[in-house]
This record gives sequence, C-alpha cells and structure tokens, in this order.
Amino acid sequence: MDERFSGFGAFILYTITAGMMLFILAPLLLVMAASVSDSYFVTFPPQGFTLKWYAKVLQDRDFLEAMRLSILLALGTTVGSLLFGVPAAFALVRGHFVGLAAIKGFLLSPLIFPALITGLALLQVLNKLGSTDARLNLLIGHIVVTSPYVIRTVVTSLQLVDENLEDAARTLGASRLRTFWRVTLPQIASGVAAGGLFAFMVSFDNYPVTMWLANSEYSPVPLILMRQLVNVFDPSVPAMSTIIILMAMVGVLVLEKLVGLRRALAA
Amino acid sequence: MLAFLTYFFFYPALALLFSSIQTQDSRGIIGRPFTLAHYARLVNVELYARVLWTTLRISIITSALATVLAYPVALVMVKSRPIVTRVITLIVIAPLIVSVVVRGYGWQLVLQNGPKGMLNWILMTLHVVDAPISVLYTETAVVIGSLHVFFPMMVLPLASALGKIDPNLEDAARMLGAPWWKVFLRVTLPLSMPGFVAGFTLVFSLTAGSFVIPAILGGASAVMLGNLIEQQIFVVYDWPFGAAIAVVLVGLVLAVNGVSMWLLEGRRLRRPD
Repeated sequence: MDERFSGFGAFILYTITAGMMLFILAPLLLVMAASVSDSYFVTFPPQGFTLKWYAKVLQDRDFLEAMRLSILLALGTTVGSLLFGVPAAFALVRGHFVGLAAIKGFLLSPLIFPALITGLALLQVLNKLGSTDARLNLLIGHIVVTSPYVIRTVVTSLQLVDENLEDAARTLGASRLRTFWRVTLPQIASGVAAGGLFAFMVSFDNYPVTMWLANSEYSPVPLILMRQLVNVFDPSVPAMSTIIILMAMVGVLVLEKLVGLRRALAA
Repeated sequence: MLAFLTYFFFYPALALLFSSIQTQDSRGIIGRPFTLAHYARLVNVELYARVLWTTLRISIITSALATVLAYPVALVMVKSRPIVTRVITLIVIAPLIVSVVVRGYGWQLVLQNGPKGMLNWILMTLHVVDAPISVLYTETAVVIGSLHVFFPMMVLPLASALGKIDPNLEDAARMLGAPWWKVFLRVTLPLSMPGFVAGFTLVFSLTAGSFVIPAILGGASAVMLGNLIEQQIFVVYDWPFGAAIAVVLVGLVLAVNGVSMWLLEGRRLRRPD
C-alpha cells in the first residue's frame, strides 16, 4: 500500500474502489456466463454448460448479415473520418489564421451535441435531399460522429511533434511530401491509428445515429440486438452480446498497446 | 472537413431548429404558420412535462452519484502503485468500448425482477430481503445503468486533475497536523475542481441525451426525452413536436456546457487535458 493512504480513510477508499470495480464488471460477466448457460431462460446462478447458443448465432442469417454490414460500415467510416480528420487536425495545429479557436470548437462540436439529435437532424435533411440509400446515409452519419475523435487524437499527437525535425529534413533537401511521409507521419502514427480505431469502434456500436438512418433492409448489429432484446425473447442474445464484448476487449488491448488508454481518451 | 460538417451537421441542426417552429397539417405537410405551440405543449401537457422532469432528475442524480463514487476510484488510480493503477484503468475503461445495448442487457440480467435475477438471488441468499424486489423498469434501474455507462467520463477527468496536484501541498497539510479528511476537503477537493466540473458536465450531457438505457431498463415508468423524441417521430409522425423536444434537449445540454465553460475559463479553474 502507498504510504499516502492510511487508516480509516484508506479503508473507505479501497472499499469503494473495489465495489465500483465489481459494479463495472458484474453485468458483463453475467452476460458471458449466461451465454454458455444451458437453460432456456437466463437464471441466476447459471446452470449447465453449452455452446449451442453460439452455434445458433453463427447460423443466424440476420445476425451474420448485420455483422457484415456493421464491419463494412465501420471500415468505411474509419477511412472517411481519417481522410477528413487528419488534414483538419493539421490545419488546427499548424495553421495560423483568424478564427482558429472558433473553427476548432466547431469541428469538435459534434462531440457535445447529443448523437441522438445529430441523427435526427441528418434524417430530416437527407430525406429532403431524396437520399434513400440507407448505406450512404449511415456512412455520412457515422463520419459526422466519429471524425471529432480522429481530430482530437491526431491534434494531441501532432502537438508533441518537434517541428525542428521537419525543418531539418527540409533544409537537407527533402520535399514537403517526403518530409511528411518520412518524418512527420512516423511520429504521429500511433495517434492516427488510435483515432482510426476509435472511429471503427464508435461506428461499430453506434446506436443513437444508426437508429434514425437505417432501414429494414440495412440494419447494423446494435439495431438487430436491440430488436431481439425489446421485442422477442431469444436465448441467443447473450451469445451475440458476448461476441461483441470480446471484440471490444481486443480493441481495447490494441488501443492500450498503441497509445496507452488514458492518453487516448483524456486527450 | 469544414464543408462536410457544415453541410451534414450544422445545416441539419439549423433545419431541425427551423422545423420545430413550423406547423404540420393533417396531410403531414410541414410549413407555415410559424408557431411556438410545440414548446408550450412540452411544458403544459402534464405527460410531456413529466418526461422533462424525469430526464432532469435522472441526469442530476446520475452525475451526483458518479461524482461521489468516482473520487475514491480516481484517487486510488492516481496514487497507487503502477500495477494497481493499470488494472483499475483497464477495468474502468474497457466497458466503455462495449456497446451500450450490450451493457443495458447485462443490467437487465442483473436486475431481473423475480427470484432468478442476480441481484435478488444475492439479496435473498444473504437474507437482506425475504421476497424479490422489483428494480427493473424503474427510474432506479435507469440511474444504475447510466452510472455504469458514463462512469468513465467522470473518473478520467477527475484522475487527470488529481494527477496534476502537487503532492507537496498535501504533504504540507498533513505535516501541519491535518487529519486525512481535512486534507481532502481543504486541499485535494478544491484543487480537483476542474476535473469535477468537466466530468459532471460530460455525465450530465450524455445521460440527458441517452436513449438506449432508458429504453432497455426504464420501460414505461422512466421515459426520457430521447425516447419521447423517437416516439413522436417514428410512431406519431409528429415532426415539428419531435424537433421541438430535440431543441429543448440540445438547449439543456448546451446550457450545462456553457456554465461549465464559464466556470473553467472565467474563474481560476484550469482545464484538465
């Protein structure tokens, strides 16, 4: 124990912290336990062990189709938000022009704007434009929501780049593009990757925007899951959920390796 | 990027604001005359006013609870040995990436009404209660679920603010004979205010704008603004009223954010980053 904490104060601190850790993990662990439980209804304590729900999920055409759509959408969103976000971040860090602070506020504003309303507002405008392709609409909506994340992580890592190194490269005769490619990019690579991963994950389980822009033909995973949850009783929901939890865990571990989680999030 | 956001974010938001003051005729066509009747309806019709209050209540209670519970966690996170810090960070952050729908479902399983739910099983096994209690589909369930989903948003800014406090200040207080709680109240707490303000704002905004958690855990008894909007648009097809509720929700969130910006920048509070 750290000497800073001692006596009764430390006891309270550690008890509450341990309690919160339990609070955070309990529902996730229960979902995972339920996914291998043999009984048709989820009961506590879980009974028996089976993988049959996984077999069922992996044959469920709706779920697989939704998975495919979600992954493609998340990939498209990642590429799109990087294409928009990286140059925007550059402009914000390196640019010297009037109204920079205002533009930064504007570019990051989708972060504090409730996503639910972003989706609704987009739905109205896209309807008016006559854009009926749900896939395109979803892609636009997701990029709006995810690009601020990319901008934020790239801005943070750009601020750490030593501009002198670029100047040195350029003095030694490297072109602008070459300087960017060989000097700048390697330094901000982890920030770009983290932003991309964020965009992927935010897009993959975005519900509030997706809800408005999807249709019955193109329904990504969160929508399918919500439908199963609210409308029908389906014992394979824990298995679907567990698959999503495991995917998220992999994402978190990669993020932790890339930039360190606290830096990635608190930026 | 600027053009993209202007076109697909800023313009839609304005269009939404605009349609909230228009009228919809019986054929569903939206147009003139302009009116503020939809806003009046939200406040005057008891059913809708109640949703507004429920949303405010749930958001305030959730943020307050998150603050109280996040302080110990953030303190331990900042001041423990590296390995403890790492484990806590991972546990706090990992669920953040897991879909909100899945987390709501997890709480549905934990809180399940009847003797087969986890919470009831534990409470009955420990003989805290004799008969199963009903938590699911109440405001309490929504607060618990929201707390779970948005807790990291409170812990992270707090931890970053606490991490910036010069340990010498606390040591000095301790050496001068202050007991631990006094050190906390007089030194640590005031110096962590930027983290507190940032965290509170985030949790409040996110809770107020949430849809999934109240839909899964609140049932009919804890409908929030987000759910009301969805219902007005998808079920009743009342676009202007739905838009008006949306504007009120955005106004609420922006107001809270405005106050927090003012606190963070206008006063001597420094923003954590």
